[in-house]
Amino acid sequence: MSKFRNTVMWAGLTLIIALIFLSIYGAFLGAERAQKLVNSLPVSVYWLAFILILTAGLAVFRRLVRVPALSLIHFGCVLILAGSMWGSDAGHRLQSQLFGIDKVRTGQMVIYEGHSENLVALEDGEQIKELPFSIKLKDFRLEHYKPEYLRVQTRNGESWKVPVEVGTEFYLGEDFGTVTILRAFENFQIRIEGEERIVTDEPQSGYNPALEVEIKHPDGDVASRYVFERFPGHIHPEDEFLLRYHRIIRDYVSELDIIEEGKVVAAKNIEVNHPLYFGGYHFYQHSYDAEAGQYTVLMVTSDTGLGLVYAGYVMLCVGVLWQLWFRGVFARMKLKSK
Amino acid sequence: MEIKYTVQGLLIYAAMGAYLVAFVTTLLRRRKTGQTLYLLGFVIAVLSYGYRWYDVRHVPLQNLFEVFLCMGMIYPVTLFCYRILRVGGGCGDMLIGVIVLFPAGFVFNAEPQRLPPALQSWLFVPHVAVYMLSYIFMAKATFQAISQLTGKSYDSDEKLLPPEEATYRMICAGFGLLTLGLVLGSWWGKVAWGDYWGWDPKELWSLASWLVYVGYFHFRYMFGKKQQRINSTWAIAGMVVIVVTLLWVNLSRLFSGLHSYAT
Ligand code: HEM
Repeated sequence: MSKFRNTVMWAGLTLIIALIFLSIYGAFLGAERAQKLVNSLPVSVYWLAFILILTAGLAVFRRLVRVPALSLIHFGCVLILAGSMWGSDAGHRLQSQLFGIDKVRTGQMVIYEGHSENLVALEDGEQIKELPFSIKLKDFRLEHYKPEYLRVQTRNGESWKVPVEVGTEFYLGEDFGTVTILRAFENFQIRIEGEERIVTDEPQSGYNPALEVEIKHPDGDVASRYVFERFPGHIHPEDEFLLRYHRIIRDYVSELDIIEEGKVVAAKNIEVNHPLYFGGYHFYQHSYDAEAGQYTVLMVTSDTGLGLVYAGYVMLCVGVLWQLWFRGVFARMKLKSK
Repeated sequence: MEIKYTVQGLLIYAAMGAYLVAFVTTLLRRRKTGQTLYLLGFVIAVLSYGYRWYDVRHVPLQNLFEVFLCMGMIYPVTLFCYRILRVGGGCGDMLIGVIVLFPAGFVFNAEPQRLPPALQSWLFVPHVAVYMLSYIFMAKATFQAISQLTGKSYDSDEKLLPPEEATYRMICAGFGLLTLGLVLGSWWGKVAWGDYWGWDPKELWSLASWLVYVGYFHFRYMFGKKQQRINSTWAIAGMVVIVVTLLWVNLSRLFSGLHSYAT
């Protein structure tokens, strides 16, 4: 190996080893601090050095260019690094200074049902920026796994999972009688008018899921109870059972319209794993109003640099499989069969 | 430690028993019997995985219990490596089978869980499956590296590769899958959370394990077979980091992050 090539190779190996230790150190810091660290100035210099050495490698090792699989691997790595630097905070600042492209890198939007919004709160929590279009939330909803269950537990720990089927009687055994769910509420509300207590379900105005349950004791006593999902653990001193209404969330769904100059130009229901892509941004279901179910929180991220990173991923995967499987592992099969 | 007195538990213990007896019989040079028992263990491991699949009604790769259960079906990899790649170590694989089923049988909770929204993605199964397969190859590489270091070979077969080359070939096979797993995970991260890379502890450990093998390739390219012992040490270091990636991150309270639901 010529001296220069040897130096490049050692430099490459040293950078790889340094990144192993940096990753492990970062794992001890936790995601947030690790992210700060890798975006810091010294580590940015490190990323540039990595790109430089990879490029130098491509320049001085002719095989890295001549063997297509090897050039896909190493060039792919260059693209991934370059793409992620281009898409970083610093990359966005640079583009705004150089080309006047003023894009939000990442932030959050809070949108109320029936309203439209174009303001994004940036990550630092202080600045607010405007998008060139707005997003309207038609509806936000939680979906739960079916069947839902009411958990019934005795004071000495015996328990049942009663499927939520309104009107169906569920037999708990000779000693305990039966349980029937009389009604399921999305938003339980109660008013007192004179002597009367009026119970209603008002799904439009809030979020307080509840069940009305009737318990028939074997000796003929009948008791009726309300069980609230958001306020578990209620038990009257005379009650035989602890009742819990516990549902498992299957999905969060925001129904959105994109509005540009007063016109709806796109519509999509976003869920976890199904973001919306529009105007150079991805919009994700991020959080929601757990108190009243009235608003959704979207995460917004810019797509700058993403194309480069993805192209790099494809090149890296194709190159690695080609080089190591088809040239390395399976090439010997051909030899053998000859 | 908990013993599972369920059909699921019994199947796991039976498979472990078969693998263990297969291992001992093979050490005692009863190869044929060993092979038969190994195959029997595999059949039980498949039954046990199938039973779980039926039980939870989605591909069981959601938590560590299911992942280890899946890796217990190692036999086809042994066969593939032996017949096609000319890499031995079948005896070691029986032991690997016992080792990976142990946590499923005795450590992890087998309570079926519903898939949380983040895991409802078609990328979920390929991402995890590819990783598990790659880990099996890397475990085989480690076994070969150890036999290179100790100078003891359990394979008397002439046609098989010597340990150093076998280590390299196993890592070539595993690294392709490792790269795919990493890239699929990153892509999924983008789809589910909005970032293709979140610097989460689990991501960082998996990056570190990938990089150890990148280091191995370049070191081996620079020195070839002149530094066999160091080559083997790289391979073993890779496995150590993989074990940390797989277990420590989930189990220790040291790190908390996006992947921590996968316990
Ligand atoms: C940091 C600078 C790097 C330099 C200077 C470099 C250089 C080289 C060289 C000279 C080879 C040998 C090619 C041959 O067989 O003739 C090689 C192989 C290889 N490189 Fe790199 N490389 C670098 C980074 C990376 C990275 C980040 C990866 C990540 C995937 C990578 C993956 C590989 C693979 C998979 C091989 C094939 C190994 C084999 O066939 O045994 N390299 N590299």
